[in-house]
Amino acid sequence: MKTKAEVIIVGGGIIGCAVAYYLAKQGLKDVIVLEGSDHIGNGGSSRNGGGVRQSGRDVRELPLVMYGIKNLWPTLSEELEVDCEYHQDGNLRLGKTEKHREILTGLANSAMGAGLDVRMIDGDEVRQINPYLSDEVICASWCPTDGHANPLTTTLGYYKMARRMGVTFISGEEVLELRVMRGKIRQVITKNTVYEGENVLVAAGLDSRDILTSVGIDIPMTNSLLECLVTEAQPHMFDQMLGTAEADFYGHQTKHGSFVFGGSSGLERYNKDNGMVSNSSKTAPCICRGIMKYFPDLKDAKIVRTWAGWMDASCDGVPALGKVDEIPGLFVACAFNGHGFGIAPAVGEQLAKLIITGTTDISLHDLRYDRYKAKI
Amino acid sequence: MKRYDLIIVGAGPSGLSAAVEAAKRGLKVVVFDENEKPGGQLFKQIHKFFGSKEHRAKVRGFVIGQQLLEEADKEGVEVVLNATVIGLYQDHEVVVKLGDEVVHFKGDAIVIATGAAENMVTFEGWTLPGVIGAGAAQTMMNLHGIKPGKKILMLGSGNVGLVVSFQLMQCGCDVVALVDAAPRVGGYGVHAAKVARTGVPFYLSHTIVKAEGETEVTGVTIAEVDDRFQFIPGTEKHFDVDTICLAVGLSPMSQLLKMAGAKMEDNPRKGGQVPVCDEYGRTSLPGVFVAGDVSGIEEASSAMIEGRMAGIVAAEYLGYMEETDLDHQLKELDDALDGLRQGMFAPKNRGKAIETTEEGIEISKNLLKHGFVSDEEIERFPGVTHRVGVHPVMECTQNIPCNPCQDACKKGCISIGSNITSLPIVVEGSECINCGMCVASCSGQAIFLVDEDLGDGFASVTLPYEFLPLPEIGTKGKGLGRDGKVVCEAEVIQVRDVKAFDKTSLLTIKVPKEYAMKARFFQAV
Amino acid sequence: MNTINDRTRDIGPFVPADDDDMLICRCEEITKGEIRKAVHDGMWTLTEIRRYLRTGMGLCQGQTCSKLVKSIVARELGISPAELEPATSRVPMRPIEMQVFANEAKEDE
Repeated sequence: MKTKAEVIIVGGGIIGCAVAYYLAKQGLKDVIVLEGSDHIGNGGSSRNGGGVRQSGRDVRELPLVMYGIKNLWPTLSEELEVDCEYHQDGNLRLGKTEKHREILTGLANSAMGAGLDVRMIDGDEVRQINPYLSDEVICASWCPTDGHANPLTTTLGYYKMARRMGVTFISGEEVLELRVMRGKIRQVITKNTVYEGENVLVAAGLDSRDILTSVGIDIPMTNSLLECLVTEAQPHMFDQMLGTAEADFYGHQTKHGSFVFGGSSGLERYNKDNGMVSNSSKTAPCICRGIMKYFPDLKDAKIVRTWAGWMDASCDGVPALGKVDEIPGLFVACAFNGHGFGIAPAVGEQLAKLIITGTTDISLHDLRYDRYKAKI
Repeated sequence: MKRYDLIIVGAGPSGLSAAVEAAKRGLKVVVFDENEKPGGQLFKQIHKFFGSKEHRAKVRGFVIGQQLLEEADKEGVEVVLNATVIGLYQDHEVVVKLGDEVVHFKGDAIVIATGAAENMVTFEGWTLPGVIGAGAAQTMMNLHGIKPGKKILMLGSGNVGLVVSFQLMQCGCDVVALVDAAPRVGGYGVHAAKVARTGVPFYLSHTIVKAEGETEVTGVTIAEVDDRFQFIPGTEKHFDVDTICLAVGLSPMSQLLKMAGAKMEDNPRKGGQVPVCDEYGRTSLPGVFVAGDVSGIEEASSAMIEGRMAGIVAAEYLGYMEETDLDHQLKELDDALDGLRQGMFAPKNRGKAIETTEEGIEISKNLLKHGFVSDEEIERFPGVTHRVGVHPVMECTQNIPCNPCQDACKKGCISIGSNITSLPIVVEGSECINCGMCVASCSGQAIFLVDEDLGDGFASVTLPYEFLPLPEIGTKGKGLGRDGKVVCEAEVIQVRDVKAFDKTSLLTIKVPKEYAMKARFFQAV
Repeated sequence: MNTINDRTRDIGPFVPADDDDMLICRCEEITKGEIRKAVHDGMWTLTEIRRYLRTGMGLCQGQTCSKLVKSIVARELGISPAELEPATSRVPMRPIEMQVFANEAKEDE
């Protein structure tokens, strides 16, 4: 088994797979990806709502996601030889009260300031775009260049292509610690094996915190349970990505016809699991109630599945991304706060470039690993 | 949240048995089942069960179901039907769909008794309408009164395939062939024999090449396979059928346990994914127990005992009985379960090619290859003797755990002894009074009353008959051999149908003397 | 579980077979050939196969096909089916209408 490489990536999620793919595409194929679970893409990569959106995001990560939507997403299916089911049909973030309108307007204004085409529309215009929405909806922010895709096929598509180009993937290899040697990052230690790399990228979601702790780096993150449900296939209704000001639900209709909806119960930061990343008994009914307020027509749709995933929530809601200056060769990509999917292609491509050339096209300065400061 | 001492998921044989034992010991018990009728598979089982008295032998499955329900009711068990358990969450929380709402319940202990689902096998055309599971066919016939098809081919010679084939014929279907890729009949020989004697051909070492038809099944082609299960070219056989029944095993429905985080194992001997548990159904999750097929595929009789065990250990877990009482209460059930797990078909013998019976008699090769014991082979078994006057002929040739016949004969003509799997023998010097109880009590329909010399060159054969309409006295027809082929002329001379026979009618036919030990079924012409 | 699985292991090339167009997952209409190809694309666990192709994600939630898929994947990988962990089971055990799932019985206060 290969244990030495130019680059070792800790974490076989969409970020790890995408970085591996873009490294290989740019000619750096001496790469090992270590996945702790038995399955590639087993964390948040397979457990999210599939949004590929810019609206609603913090301005610090907007340039990166806008870059990805402009340059990478449109051709991703052909590039990965898999149907990523990418739809660029806009995102409606819905509001039902004046307070919602205030929240949405604030978000829209800051995004416009960063150069995004997003605007507030009233209830009637909302229903022109999506006639299935109930009359309770009085406003929305509308971003026509947003969309959605299939996180499962996209993640596994990156994996497939990277593997095909010669990247080594090893699953079931949980990384316990990293070791610095002679002033540089060097070893990646699992229960069974010591791997050695010139460069190490930690992209292990929530587990990144423990792994980075072994070399004295701390990314303040906590876990939060994200839960989704899936309906049986329904006749085609609409192609937009949806969200709400209150974040009570979000989601879209997939190519397959099923609806994938996520939502919150208000308890997500306090949920526990039994080792299975299990759903809370309270959340799915709550999401259903949320959906039906907006889409009364979906009341008879059958729920076939629910699932949950631990999200890596950072204190300021945006990821930690880039080079760890104090440890040569070490890179991080974590704390995506439950919206790492849409941004993943851009992160993958830019990090690969950073590892190979030392620079990026999009500045990652606002997302650096040591930005966390006390409030006073 | 509404809380019970014990929540049981599944009102089949194991779930109801667990409920009865737990409620007897003072637990507040609720049983949820997604079906509109309780009893699980029991209500589809119209045949008489094997075993001994304590296993409710010779009682028909659906009657056992009724008995269990009555006991549960008497003990104060709440059985909730049309109640779909949609999830087993953390903290022993069970969420149930009841009507148009979902209800959350907590159980201090939980027994999962969700049973099993049918396996499928693929071949060209396997998704055509008309290819159905044998269990599904049984549900259609025995629960809903719907005839699954007119001409049917059965794949699978295990007990399910054999029992359902017989039931299909009882329902008026034409079973054109019984096919199995294995080289030997998988189920009980007596089940095979009762199917074979009606004329159903057995094709062992054969399997389905393809189901034919554009929009539904119109035919099927089978072919012989070699010992690596590859088709042998040129051995194809075609049948016109409208239905193909698949009886190719069951898989435990263990999803609830898996989602709850129970430690699971993949155990091919138990039928697939099962929770890791001890002999009494304790899983890796404290307070969560399992019983019946969900913990390993067996049959209803052992499921009932496993259920009782789970009910008892749950009672002990919750402090409703002393740990010291546990051992001797379980011991009795251990012995009962052990009794069922003896003989040629015991779990420990699965996959072994057994050559001789426990008595040292060479087993019938013909039975394993063609579904019936040949005329020559039958003479070597101890239940088959020749005497003057009417006497029982017991064509029971394999060691299976079953003994109702010895209790059935009040005259003591039949003995099995203390070892429940022994072959029945005819007791020397005993007197047969032709009461017919042995014939009706044999769950395998393997006992016949024969008078080898009626005078005038004739003999009489009394056989079990579970088909309608019953022929009348004087009906002339053919005597069929064990292989289902016509061997002689026959005439019905007596028809007995009394309550004690429990719907197994006895037909006595008159046949030429030389066919006394050959004719084993009657076909009216 | 978490057993080391080096995805560079050589499992040989994909060899087309006569029965590749046979449906295996009826709910989602996935064929044997698609499953076999997915294995050669690196999908080496039933969870990956499921996420890549949707096998077992339909109304029956894999009740019918999961054993069939398992044996196909195992054969393609040259391992015993028992070595493959089946995909996770998820709530609800049976499909349930949104308005019913939403309607939680009120507890007596």
